Amino acid sequence: MKKHLFLITPFLLWSQVSLAQSTCATAQIVTAGTYSFASVDGTEVPMPICAGGGAGATMGKWFKFNSPESVQVTVTTDFPDINGNIDNRVHIYNGTCGALNCVAGDDDSGTGLLCVVGFNAIANTDYYIAFDNRWNTNNPNNGFTFEVITSPMPPAPPVSFLTQNYPDITGTYKIAIADMNGDYLDDIVSVSGTSVNIMYQQTDGSFIQNTIATDQAQFEPSWSLAIGDFNKDGFNDLLYGGGSGVTFFYSNSTGTAYTQWYVTNYVFSQRSNFVDLNNDGHLDAFVCHDVAPNVFYMNDGNGNLTYNQGGIGDHPNGGNYGSIWIDYDNDGDQDLFISKCRGGQNTAKLNELHRNNGDGTFTNVSVLANMNHPNQTWSSAWNDFDNDGYMDAIVGASTFTDGGHLFMHNNGDGTFTDIAEGSAWDTYTGTAIEYVSYDFNNDGWADVFTNGRMFINNGDNTFTIQVIQPSVGAIGDLNNDGFLDIQNGNTIYFTQPNGNNWIKMNLKGIESNSNGIGARVEIHGAWGKQIRDVQSGVGFRHMGTLNPHFGIGQATEIDSVVVRWPSGNVDVVCNVTINTTLYIEEGSGVAPVADFTVSDNDLLPGQIAVFTDESTTTCPVSWAWSVQPAMGWAFVNGTNASSQNPEIQFNNIGIYNVGLVVANGNGQSTENPSEQINVTSGVGIEENMDELFKIYPNPASDELNITFGGNLEGAQISVVSTIGAEVLSFDLLPNTIKVGHLSNGTYFLVLVLPNGSRMTKLFVKQ
Amino acid sequence: MTMNFPILSKRVLLVPALLLTAMTLSCRKDKTEIPTGLPIPPDPTGVSVDLTQVPYPKLSDYRFFEGDMKDQNPAEGVLPYEPITQLFTDYALKKRFVWMPNGTKANYVSDTEILDLPVGSAIIKTFYYDNMLPENATRILETRIMIRKSTGWIFAEYEWNDEQTEAYLNMDGVNKSISWVQNGTPMSTNYRLPSDTECMICHKFNASPIPIGIKPQHLNKSLQYADGEMNQLQKWVSVGYLNGPLPSNILTVVDYKDESKSLRDRVRSYLDMNCAHCHQENSHCDYRPMRLAFSETELSLNLGICVDPEEFIDASLVSIIVPGNTSKSMMHFRLGSTEESNRMPLLGRTVVHQEGLALLTAFIQSLTNCD
Repeated sequence: MKKHLFLITPFLLWSQVSLAQSTCATAQIVTAGTYSFASVDGTEVPMPICAGGGAGATMGKWFKFNSPESVQVTVTTDFPDINGNIDNRVHIYNGTCGALNCVAGDDDSGTGLLCVVGFNAIANTDYYIAFDNRWNTNNPNNGFTFEVITSPMPPAPPVSFLTQNYPDITGTYKIAIADMNGDYLDDIVSVSGTSVNIMYQQTDGSFIQNTIATDQAQFEPSWSLAIGDFNKDGFNDLLYGGGSGVTFFYSNSTGTAYTQWYVTNYVFSQRSNFVDLNNDGHLDAFVCHDVAPNVFYMNDGNGNLTYNQGGIGDHPNGGNYGSIWIDYDNDGDQDLFISKCRGGQNTAKLNELHRNNGDGTFTNVSVLANMNHPNQTWSSAWNDFDNDGYMDAIVGASTFTDGGHLFMHNNGDGTFTDIAEGSAWDTYTGTAIEYVSYDFNNDGWADVFTNGRMFINNGDNTFTIQVIQPSVGAIGDLNNDGFLDIQNGNTIYFTQPNGNNWIKMNLKGIESNSNGIGARVEIHGAWGKQIRDVQSGVGFRHMGTLNPHFGIGQATEIDSVVVRWPSGNVDVVCNVTINTTLYIEEGSGVAPVADFTVSDNDLLPGQIAVFTDESTTTCPVSWAWSVQPAMGWAFVNGTNASSQNPEIQFNNIGIYNVGLVVANGNGQSTENPSEQINVTSGVGIEENMDELFKIYPNPASDELNITFGGNLEGAQISVVSTIGAEVLSFDLLPNTIKVGHLSNGTYFLVLVLPNGSRMTKLFVKQ
Repeated sequence: MTMNFPILSKRVLLVPALLLTAMTLSCRKDKTEIPTGLPIPPDPTGVSVDLTQVPYPKLSDYRFFEGDMKDQNPAEGVLPYEPITQLFTDYALKKRFVWMPNGTKANYVSDTEILDLPVGSAIIKTFYYDNMLPENATRILETRIMIRKSTGWIFAEYEWNDEQTEAYLNMDGVNKSISWVQNGTPMSTNYRLPSDTECMICHKFNASPIPIGIKPQHLNKSLQYADGEMNQLQKWVSVGYLNGPLPSNILTVVDYKDESKSLRDRVRSYLDMNCAHCHQENSHCDYRPMRLAFSETELSLNLGICVDPEEFIDASLVSIIVPGNTSKSMMHFRLGSTEESNRMPLLGRTVVHQEGLALLTAFIQSLTNCD
């Protein structure tokens, strides 16, 4: 428990003549130094609001700061001996009067309720320092002393933001970002009881606002909102998680109107998600129930939902707060972790991990996996924090009464180990209900955002905490620059590019659900492998982008992007351009086409043929060469059956067929027909080997008959097994060989001519 | 509507003569003389709470009331009671009754804990509004019953019909759009009849269902009965519903509306009845730092004064209670909110209790420091 101390001291009024500080346009220019004024009496009320406390101010006091060099600025009123128990508030803007943007703001960071704020001032840029009378509208003696302190610009923080205010974001619940018009650009979705309000992102970075009236929502999304295309028409639909039930709004065929569907079953909703529970290619919905077993809504494939309760987290007292769907065991289906919370001596507080059995059923593996902690959590942030190929979890506490923050490292064997010690999570004293993970600085290591703090992943399972202005928010790329932004209320915090490279994907499921929710996306490159799971509904309340996003730091090449769809289909894309968005439709991955050439089809015994792969492919392939018959040749010069361009020495006279199968992640291809290699003695006698000697019957059981077609005087014949053992040999050429005593199997008849040439025929004993 | 309190003497007249004599001779009316180990005979009062059958499909099946059921005239042995400070439920008015099987009685545990009621007991609470629109008349919405079985307490929720002639068991919860006149002002809301799951949110100790209001600290006041005014606890003892004697000095809440009492005690009493069922040890939300039971709020820290909230809503809500500053007090914000995820109490309220909020406002404004 933290105690907030308030210093109540006598108020000393500093009387000083007010200058022209009434409006933005008449702001008094200030530099480093101390200033006082008697009253917040300017006519222009600072807008937008950059600090806590909301609307209500009636007057402002305006100052302007501009430095020829970039500097770090602190504006402080934290002089309790002078300012007493004044409750003031400050906003810092850039931009121009009438079109100001929040840079920073503060209400109460100083002693008592005094404000202190810091910001970085870029050289030769106007910044406005505006105080308001939010908390003392009726007190004319509400002036105070403040000081402007400048210091050299610190090194750039890992994440920096440009803030911009959007008054057009309307509605009661400004908590969602997702594409709503099918162009894959993240839109801002805010909801009221009777409307869905959408700010459609345009390619030029602007937004077009549209308010779509709806029927009165039976339940409003006071606890959570989830978005996904559950009627699979290419336009996203909405789920409102309310305090006593759940309602759905599904799109029309153009995404321009929404129709409500609900059942009245009592659900004390917490986190909600769209997920394809039975993997039939159609999204179902899952809703955490605060006080009873969880509920889910099964989709019949025609967009009709059926209410279900029981089977996925069934504690009778509930305690279900934060559901998140991840593939923790890399088996291709979506598993469920539930952050849980409950007071008293009640097992409903124990977190739960449910393994997807792959058949629409789930097994509670919480204890086995070491994920059954009681740390009173409302959400967890999952990602592969150490890029070892397995999803890890920050299970963030909402209080410290039953344990603290957990950093659960996925051991890859179905178990987890808490590695919070030394990671910064063990010493962090803040608590929150929202924890989400994305790579905000695009360095290739997934970060965590919670409670006005960015936990920057150092890449070694430790984090560095950076305090940022937004406390919570919806996450998406709201200017399509590859850096994920934060929307909180009417403010967008645009994460500023920092030189790191990135890639995003727009997924289109065909056999799978259309959003690709549940897909595992991998990017391969110099870093090894990074992974993401596509999720609808992370954190506690908000809905964030459905477009997978990766940072790759200073790397400039991505070898391949792999999408493992929930259907089991896999698409691999290569020749990827960095810093772009990749559209991947399920099944669009291109399989290779096998082709090769050979240096010479006609050889003498002992000669080497060089095979050259000429397959066409967009992605790296593997090669599998085959030669029939299996004897009389060998790979040479360091090549083998998996080489791209193998070299084969043919020793025996005969006809050989050489084949190639090439494969990449998208499929395989066989060269057809295979290349024929003829090995002859070069003296003409065996030009037509089929005529030279024939065997029958083949397969043979007792006797094998041989007819010879030429002058074979001095030749010898032998029977050789497949492992090269000579089992029979004849100095004179027999017309019949008794094979009844041989074990069943494949054998070679080998004819050796006086000049040393060898010819081989295969027969089968059965 | 007039609701008469029952004449409890009728019950006394029906008990066996020998016992009647004993009771006449002794104010304590100790019923423990009834032989134990024998089956309890059918209750002579006519009330029926068959533990193998409850909850019954209809409210009338219990025979808790005499005459026209909507008049809520309690049957013999059905004793009205009233907590000193009451839970706010969207301005609904309430009638409360307790009933115990013949020959059984409750035990005192402590001032601050619920009385230990015997197996077979029932607690009955009827919710109604006067001035319900459009008729501007009294209408009963629901009657909630808790019944003590040998395995613990169960909930039974009865939804009244439009004719006000019967109430039917409904354990699934239902919303009712209602309008009424409150102090001359028309109000309306979507009134919630709770499902048993919702009952359990507030009515539990750890994971077990329990009543809330039947604590000595809430009952220790006089009530006007049909046969005269009497301290409720003494009344319970006198009719044989409670083993005496009780401690002479019971820690007692005050009526939050009683302006003769200290502001702090009024707030503490209000918070106890409206909030403490979740914000005390072993309750739904004991992981948050407040401890709002009346016995715990002598301590300012337990009231949340100068304590940082753990759940972020707005940067300016810096403490649960900021002395002298309602605008920055999370508790004030939550009591003044009707948004589902911000309001407190979490359920049972969809409109702001203006009188309660005014009391909290006055209290916060009266504070000058963290102590």
